Amino acid sequence: MVTPFRYTLRRMRGQIIGWGLGIALLGAVIIPFYSVFAESQAQFLAMLENYPPEFLAFFGDASDASAITTPRGFLQYYFFSMLPVLAGIFALSAGSRLLAQDEERGRMDLILAHPLSRTTLFFGRVLALVAASVAIVFIGWLGCAILLATSSMDVGVGELALAFLPVLAQILIYAALALLLSLLLPAYRYASMITGMLLAASYILSSLGKLHPSLNAIGDLMPYAYYQGAAAMSGLDWGSFLGLVGISAVFVVLAWWRFERRDIRVVGEGSWNLPLRLRKRAA
Amino acid sequence: MAEQLALTMRGLTKSYGKVRALQGLDLDVQRGEIFGFLGPNGAGKTTTIRCLLDTIRPDGGTARVLGLDPQRDPVAVHARTGYLPGELHLDDNMTGEGQLRYFNALRGGLASWAYVQALAEQLDLDLNRPIKNLSRGNKQKVGVIQAVMHRPELLILDEPTSGLDPLMQHVVLQLIRDAQAGGTTTFFSSHIMSEVEAVADRVGIIRDGRLVEVAAPQALAARALHRATVRFTEPVSLDALVSVEGVRVVSQDEETRVTLEIQGEMAPFIRALAPYPVRDLETARPSLEDVFLAYYGHTQG
Repeated sequence: MVTPFRYTLRRMRGQIIGWGLGIALLGAVIIPFYSVFAESQAQFLAMLENYPPEFLAFFGDASDASAITTPRGFLQYYFFSMLPVLAGIFALSAGSRLLAQDEERGRMDLILAHPLSRTTLFFGRVLALVAASVAIVFIGWLGCAILLATSSMDVGVGELALAFLPVLAQILIYAALALLLSLLLPAYRYASMITGMLLAASYILSSLGKLHPSLNAIGDLMPYAYYQGAAAMSGLDWGSFLGLVGISAVFVVLAWWRFERRDIRVVGEGSWNLPLRLRKRAA
Repeated sequence: MAEQLALTMRGLTKSYGKVRALQGLDLDVQRGEIFGFLGPNGAGKTTTIRCLLDTIRPDGGTARVLGLDPQRDPVAVHARTGYLPGELHLDDNMTGEGQLRYFNALRGGLASWAYVQALAEQLDLDLNRPIKNLSRGNKQKVGVIQAVMHRPELLILDEPTSGLDPLMQHVVLQLIRDAQAGGTTTFFSSHIMSEVEAVADRVGIIRDGRLVEVAAPQALAARALHRATVRFTEPVSLDALVSVEGVRVVSQDEETRVTLEIQGEMAPFIRALAPYPVRDLETARPSLEDVFLAYYGHTQG
């Protein structure tokens, strides 16, 4: 399992550095902005009060715009509220490509002709994906923690770490779903597409669900409804965190079950041929 | 008896939707032999190989590789096998050396790196170049090296000389012969008749997912169509010749020159030809290619 793990992690190093530094860079833009914001809180609050609640719902608690004046509220509105969507793009891309890309490019055939079981390959790669996700979240946290030390925000690095844990859970669930779909659907791009649609729907429906009870029932089915964000700084909701990790594990087990039993495709195989062409009538 | 067999297939079937790729394939390959597996595209060669390696699962029938069931014990089968796929795809972001070190790591580092370098030298391959910068032929060389570098008991090669120049084709065929000298069995598919004829101890011809013939290449050729060109001293009637069973006229360029095809033994044809005023007679030994085309010509022609 070591070789597939090490090889996959090495292949993902560009994504780890890129996404990790990208999150840290986002923090670098947002965190110093807090001191400017603190000096003109009254103006910002007046501006926010003029925004429709549907808009504010996408950034946190729409019923209480004044929460933004606290460091945690500020980080939630400007940083953590969007982070699952941004990191989710990495998750769906990495999850859907983890095995299916090598299959579609014709490389899996030769890899599996080596003396390693499908289970070993599968879990070696899944562990590498988990490690890459942890590394991205860690780099993002580290960058933000360094910046926090130079800012006027009264937020500890430990509290900040707690707020990053729900982001990790969101990454894991979308990556696991994309992985499962990539082994069920004929091409990994379909898995990316469907997971991406779910990612967007989850964010929109869960956010609007706070305002419209009719959307709550659907919103509560979405992963984003169980995302704490900066609220985790006051205490991590272990139920939501472990629930999301547990569902991710179920998706992974289902994906493994499927990978164990299916024929390995070679390049060019497995595309869907949609019956869009009308049949010619006999003359 | 079973220990003498490197490969055994009995009633192997595999379908892709409505397409029946294998329709009850029966085949034995002896240990230590070089077995050429012939057939045109879509005949079922690659499907057979992929069933043997458990990358796809047959719908029915059984397969044994070195006495092992590839579905139950794929890791043990792969540990003793070297495989070269028909369509080789490598990681473009690696160098040749990086790719081979990765494959070697998957094998637990069994291959001697000195042997890998010797193979690269023999094949005139620069291992330091990125895969993405290699020509198709050079990528194929990386594929050949990874298949043989751990000195496997069994080589399964799907069109091993594909993309190689004639000189390198010769080197690869020599590698197969060298492997045989070391006790390795080789099962390779091809549609290049000359290379099969050059190295194979036995040849199997697959058509529509069924094995239609297995024999030594020379025996196959001897059994097949012969071609004879006869020049007569004067115009003649060919009725007596074409009345011989298995003889047919291929072409008649002039009134006194005719090319005929003779299926099976030549003796009845020679006896029928004796009374004719023959100026000249040329016969051609059929190549394996002629045999192959004859097998396919019957159904496709």
